[in-house]
Parts: sequence; structure tokens; C-alpha cells
Amino acid sequence: MDKKTRDELIAKADKLLKYETDKVITWCSGCGNYGIQNALARALVLEGKERKDFALFFDIGCSGNGSDKFEANTLHGLHGRIISTAAGAALANDKMKVIAFAGDGATFSEGVGHLVHGVRNNFPMVFVHHNNENYGLTIGQASSTTRLGAKMNGTPGGVSIEPINTLEFVLSLNPTFVARGFSGDVDHLTELFRMAMRHKGFAYLEILQSCPTYNRLTTEDWYASRVKYVEDLKGYDRHDIWAAKKLVQDMDKEIYLGLIYENIEKKDFLSLQTNREGVKTSLVEEVKHYDVRDLI
Amino acid sequence: MNRFSIKIAGASGGGLLSTGDIILKALQNMGFYLVAEREYPSVIKGGHACFNITASEEPIYALREEVDLIMAIDSLSLKMYVDNLKEGGILVHGQERVIEGKEALEKAKAKGVKEVHLPIRTVALESGGNVLMSNVVLLGMMWKALGLEYKYIEAEVTERFKSKPKLLEADLRCLKAGFEKSEKIMDIKRPASVPKTILMEGNKAIALGAVHAGCRAYFAYPMSPASTVLTHMANFAAKTGMLVKQVEDEISVASMALGAMHMGTRAFCATSGGGYDLMTETVSLAGMIECPLVICIAQRPGPATGMPTWTCQADLDLAIYSAHGEFTRLVVAVGDPADAFDLTQHAFNYAEKFQIPVVLLTEKGIAETYWTIPMFEQEKIKIERGLVEGEDLKGLVNEDRFRITESGVSKRWVPGASEAYYFANSDEHLEDGSLTEDAEPSRKMIDKRMRKMGALLEALPEPEIYGEASGAAISFVGWGSSKNVMRDIIKEYAEKGVKVNYLHYSFVFPLKTEVLKKFFKENKNVHLIEGNYQGQLGNLIEAKTDLKFKNRLLKYDGRPFYLNDLEKFIDANK
Repeated sequence: MDKKTRDELIAKADKLLKYETDKVITWCSGCGNYGIQNALARALVLEGKERKDFALFFDIGCSGNGSDKFEANTLHGLHGRIISTAAGAALANDKMKVIAFAGDGATFSEGVGHLVHGVRNNFPMVFVHHNNENYGLTIGQASSTTRLGAKMNGTPGGVSIEPINTLEFVLSLNPTFVARGFSGDVDHLTELFRMAMRHKGFAYLEILQSCPTYNRLTTEDWYASRVKYVEDLKGYDRHDIWAAKKLVQDMDKEIYLGLIYENIEKKDFLSLQTNREGVKTSLVEEVKHYDVRDLI
Repeated sequence: MNRFSIKIAGASGGGLLSTGDIILKALQNMGFYLVAEREYPSVIKGGHACFNITASEEPIYALREEVDLIMAIDSLSLKMYVDNLKEGGILVHGQERVIEGKEALEKAKAKGVKEVHLPIRTVALESGGNVLMSNVVLLGMMWKALGLEYKYIEAEVTERFKSKPKLLEADLRCLKAGFEKSEKIMDIKRPASVPKTILMEGNKAIALGAVHAGCRAYFAYPMSPASTVLTHMANFAAKTGMLVKQVEDEISVASMALGAMHMGTRAFCATSGGGYDLMTETVSLAGMIECPLVICIAQRPGPATGMPTWTCQADLDLAIYSAHGEFTRLVVAVGDPADAFDLTQHAFNYAEKFQIPVVLLTEKGIAETYWTIPMFEQEKIKIERGLVEGEDLKGLVNEDRFRITESGVSKRWVPGASEAYYFANSDEHLEDGSLTEDAEPSRKMIDKRMRKMGALLEALPEPEIYGEASGAAISFVGWGSSKNVMRDIIKEYAEKGVKVNYLHYSFVFPLKTEVLKKFFKENKNVHLIEGNYQGQLGNLIEAKTDLKFKNRLLKYDGRPFYLNDLEKFIDANK
């Protein structure tokens, strides 16, 4: 983190502390979620967001268990459905930044259909995939991102099918914002959160997250020795989807973090609603009687 | 009660609906009250469909199975529907060669049916029209057979085709040819006055009710017979500025509606039983986080795909018992477009005031059936949101959101509106929404959420009695579209000097029982009428009270209750 950002955070420490909870945290020690919520809080403060300016939506799982540990307006929903729930919220009140969080199961199994259409619709929201390559809260089963051969609860002989390449999948949906962070690099992740919050459409942020209890293959150290930064790639054009698709192929040796792809030309879903052109209010401000005589 | 009925039958997609529309508008303009039901298979082309129209000088609500006149657009219609024609009825057809329909025609002749026949293709061509205009020839024939005044059908055909003057001229020649070459059989007089009515179908009334109630987002996945709610909402959207969105599945539909409601707007969705099955986890979530949610189920016969384009009342149990866990909910059932407009608004008010899911039930037989009804009375039902607003937002603390109160209802405010914030938590929680798995707090929270059922029950209106309240020769209890056939039957039997009455539930669950018990006390021959196999409301009533129905009139063949179903039952049970 540069000095300027650090000074800003120190000056706004009271705002940062507002989000701290005094409740008992239920994550394992060494869990990636600590770093993720830390980065989130920093990003909100640095972006000048107060509680009234954002709402957090949590899916089910270890990530979701943070829903009442972040002192702000949150909703803890149903497994696999958080993209839809958050999208409905974002469309209803576009004056609040809606940020949704989900794990592997929600994103790439139970709710993968909602991911497809969330990206495709370019709903105005941030979506964070906590990729810890397993189902932690149900005690360590394989997820769609668990590595081939990993011995998990329920697959004692090792996972026999290949994992999904998450970003390759998302990039195939013609997204407008695809970024990848690492729970072990909070400073960098903070910047990604900030960029995602500023994006107008569907900002997809994957976070590679260590799970010290159940994921013994891709540990914190495993990632730390492999992650690279797109910022360091000379001549990398984040508006070039083919470059992005190529970059995300490697999941084993050089794993790139950063804002991998961005398309600022494509309009977000709300901006495409021609019947709401020029409307300044959001849907939450519009509940009143409407005369139906003209509709009969 | 004077009424006449017409069945227009033909191949699906063969211009049947537009012909039906022309007839409806023309009859409405003459001053008739109408009921018109669409019957069609779940295919786009090639199946068989009909439009059943009944008209009267007085308000009417239900149909009879037998009709006075059949207008058969093709030979298959002759075969399929000749049995629906009453003795001495009229059969209007235009077959050039009656080989296929021969048997049907002989059958008709045996019933004393009067045949009105012209080779309509030939007539259309001779009149300077094209083959497609043979339906218009048929229309003229039918109009004449009924003895109706020509100028009304002429005006409506003109209205329909006025944007294409060349075609219009030919259409009018075909209409006139059909009319002039046919015999007048009935002599139906136009009503003395023209009442101010609107022609309205159930789904449109529900859509309009939601719009009027301030609903700002409609989410949908198409499913018969709910699909036309989406059609209407989307067609209204340019004027209403509403967000109307077809999404990937019903799970997402319900989730998006809940997310939007949680943020503080009014959102809505409609589906049928199968789609609702997918929504039930969200209904459970709404129960848990005390988020208002309104879902409409347009019923069709199940299980599974069942009969997609036919009617039933078989999803009451689904509405009452669906979704895991125990929580307070409300089930409201519409009966016709007039009450649908009001009940949809009430559904939103109860959902918001009590912070509960509300299921709004309708049926295929209401959803796509037209009635002439008085214009809706607007702003009769105030928007009640039960939200903390304005200055009151300042004094809130986080724990107010799920505060354990006597009524079970806690304060609700829109996220971001107050400094106070909360966790809308699908896990069991404390008053501010923080997770708990402790025994006492979780029991107290369940108690709180279930106490809302009592408060809701107190707030709900009692069921409504049609006919005289007491001393009936035969009485019925029901819900939904049963109200329609009952209203007509009560009148019909009153004319015969037989007292029939009916207790109608619009707010079906939780069950109000005070007026019900009185109804049983003051009427000695009370029966159940329901469009399902098990008698679902009947079972609920018999489980919740010590009342017992004398007998049950149940129908589950995809068809609505016809007047003749009731006549048969009443004559056997009165």
C-alpha cells in the first residue's frame, strides 16, 4: 500500500472500525475470509462509502457466516441464489452499491445458472466468488474448483473429474469486468474491490482463498509462490478479451491477479431500460398509486 | 334469466381469437353483459380451440356446458363440439364439401338442430374477398341467425380493419353477403340501455391491481396460464415506467422479487404450480427474514405438467403448506377480474404490514376468461406499507428490526434509510439479526414470527355470503372461481323459488371461522364446492372446526364449474 493510501486509512480509522464486530468470529484461524473482509472494509472507506451507501448480500457457507460479522446492512440468503437476490436489490435501489459474496458451491454448482445470467444481463452489482476449492462449512467436500486427484470428504479416492476454469467460463459470457485477487494480499485485493465498486455493470471478482482446514493442496504458500500481477505484464491490454482468455488458462504455474478484463462500452442492465430513460428516482422511491385508466 | 351462448370453434391459430374479439366488442357495444372463456390446447398451431361466449341483459358470471349456437370454422369443429349444442340449437358452418362432418351433421339433425350453411369460401371469393375472409362470411351468417342488428357487427369489423381500407371494403362485402344470404332463427333484442362496462380478463386485472398498488418491478418466467401477466406488464411498461424482466428461471424470479422488496420497493411475480414449486425456498426465506413477498399462482391441473391450458383449484394445499419450516403466511384467492384488482392490492398491503409472504391464487378459468365488469374504483384501497418513515427513523436501534413484540410484528425500515442497520439473516437470529443457535432465543423468535398469524387472522375480513344469510334449501362454501357459478345459480334458483346461498372465501388462509360457524348454524344443508379431488378447503375447515359438510361437489377435469353441474348437484341434494 502506498503512503498516501495508508495515511488516508489512518485518518479515517474510526470509519474503518465502525464495521468491526465484537461478536465471536467463527472462521478457522488462517482462513482467507479475514483478509477478504478486511480488504472490503478498507475499500468501502477509501471509496467514501457510508453505511447508507451500500448493502452486502451473502450466500451460504463459510463466506456467508461473515454476514453478521460486518456491521452494516446485510442479507444472508439461500444457497446458490445470492446473485439473483442481490440483482433484485440492485435494480430496486441503484443508489446503494450492492455487493454479493458466494463460495464455490453457489457460484459454480447450485447457482451457476444465475451466474450466467447475472453476467449476461450486466446487472449493476459487484459479485465476489470466494474460491477456496472446496466446501468448507459442510466439512470439506469437493467443489467444482477442487483439483483433480484431491482426496476430499465424499471422494476418498481422489476427485476424478477436472475442475472448472472459473475465469475462462466467465470470460465466455462476454462480461464487462473480471478481476482476480488473493486473500493473502489484502492491499492488492483492496484496490480490486475499489475498482469493482466503481464499475457500473456486473463486476466479477474472484478471490483465491486459502482454506487451512480442508484444502491442503492449494495452500496459502502454494498460491503465494505462484501469483503474478497483470500490472507487471508489459503491454497487457485489459480490454482485449482474447488476451484475457489466454491469460487465465494457467491455473497451476503462473496465476495472474488483477483487473484481467474490462469492457466499459457495454451498458449495464438499468441503462438499457428505454422506458426509464431520464428517470432520476430509483424503484424504491416510486411506490405510490398509479392511474390505470390509460392501460385498459 | 335470459342468456344466449355461442361457441366459436376452429383450429388453434386459425383466426379464432380475433373473430371472438370482434363478437365480444360488438355485443358489449350493444349493452350485453358477457362472460367469454377461451379453451385451447397447449400447442400453437394445429390443435383445436374454442371461444365460449355467453351474453345477457343482466350481469352474469358463469357458463353453461351446452350452447345455443355453434359457429364451426372447420369440419373438425363440427365433429368435436356437436354434442355441446343444445336440442334445437343452431349450427353455423361453411363447409364446401361435408364429407368429414357428415356424421356430425346427422347427429345434429337428430337433435333438431337448425343448420345455417353457406359455402363460405365461394361466397368470400364471389364477394371480392379472399379465402381468409371466409371467417367474416361466417360471422355475418351467425349474426343473422341470432337475429342481431347488422350495424353493430359492421361497426366492429370496421373498427378492427380500419387501418387497412382496401381489405376493409372486401371484409364488409363478405360480412354482408353472409348476413343477407342467411336465415334469421333467433330474435335477440338488444338491451334497453348500454351499461358502462369494461371487458376484462383475470390476468390483466391482476396486473392492473399490482400497477395501481405501486408495484415497480415485475419478474417472470413464462408458464401457462400466468404468462399473460408478463405480456400485460410488458405492454404497460412504456407508460408505467416499471421494470419488467423475464429472467432465467422461477428460482431467480422469486429471489429477485425478494431482493427488490427487501430494499423497499414493491415487486411482483406470477407463475403456475410447477414454477411455484421452484420458488418455495424463497417463500421460506421471506418467512425467516420477515420480508414481504407477493407471488401469484395461476392454477392449472397437475401433477407435473398436467394440462397446461385448463383450469382447476388444486393448489390451495400447495399455497398453504409449501416451503420448509414454520412461519406466518397469507393465502388470498381471486374469483373474477373485479375482485382480482382489489385483492392484488390487499395482498401487497398485508405482505408489507405483516412482513410475510402472500400467495395470490388465480385459475386458468379466471386468468384468461373475459367478463364485462364496472370500471375499477381506484384509490379505494390505500397503500399501507407498515414502514418506519420520516422523523421516526431517527430513534431506531438495530434491535428494533426483529424486536420480540406482542403482535409479533416488529418495525421495518428500508436498508439505508436510518443510521440503524440490521442483518436480514436466513439463519435463526436475535433481534438485530445476529445469528443464534441457542435454545431460548430461537424458540422466542419462532414464537414471535408465529404470533403474527394471530394478528393477521384478526385483521382479515370474514368470508362473504352471497344470497340470503340463513334458511337456504341448500348452501355452499367455496373459494376462487366457484363464486361465479354460485352467483348465477343463486339467481336462477331464486326465480324458481328455491333459496340457495354461498359463503365465499377471498382470504383463505389463515382461516376465519366466525361467520362460517354462523353460516352452518343458520343453514342446515351446507355443501362444499371445490375444483379439486380432495376438497382441500373442506378438509381445512373440517380439521379446524367441528363442522361437517353434508356432501362435496368436486370437479377436477380441467373444466370450470358450469351451471348444469350445479343444477344436477342441487336437484340431487336439496
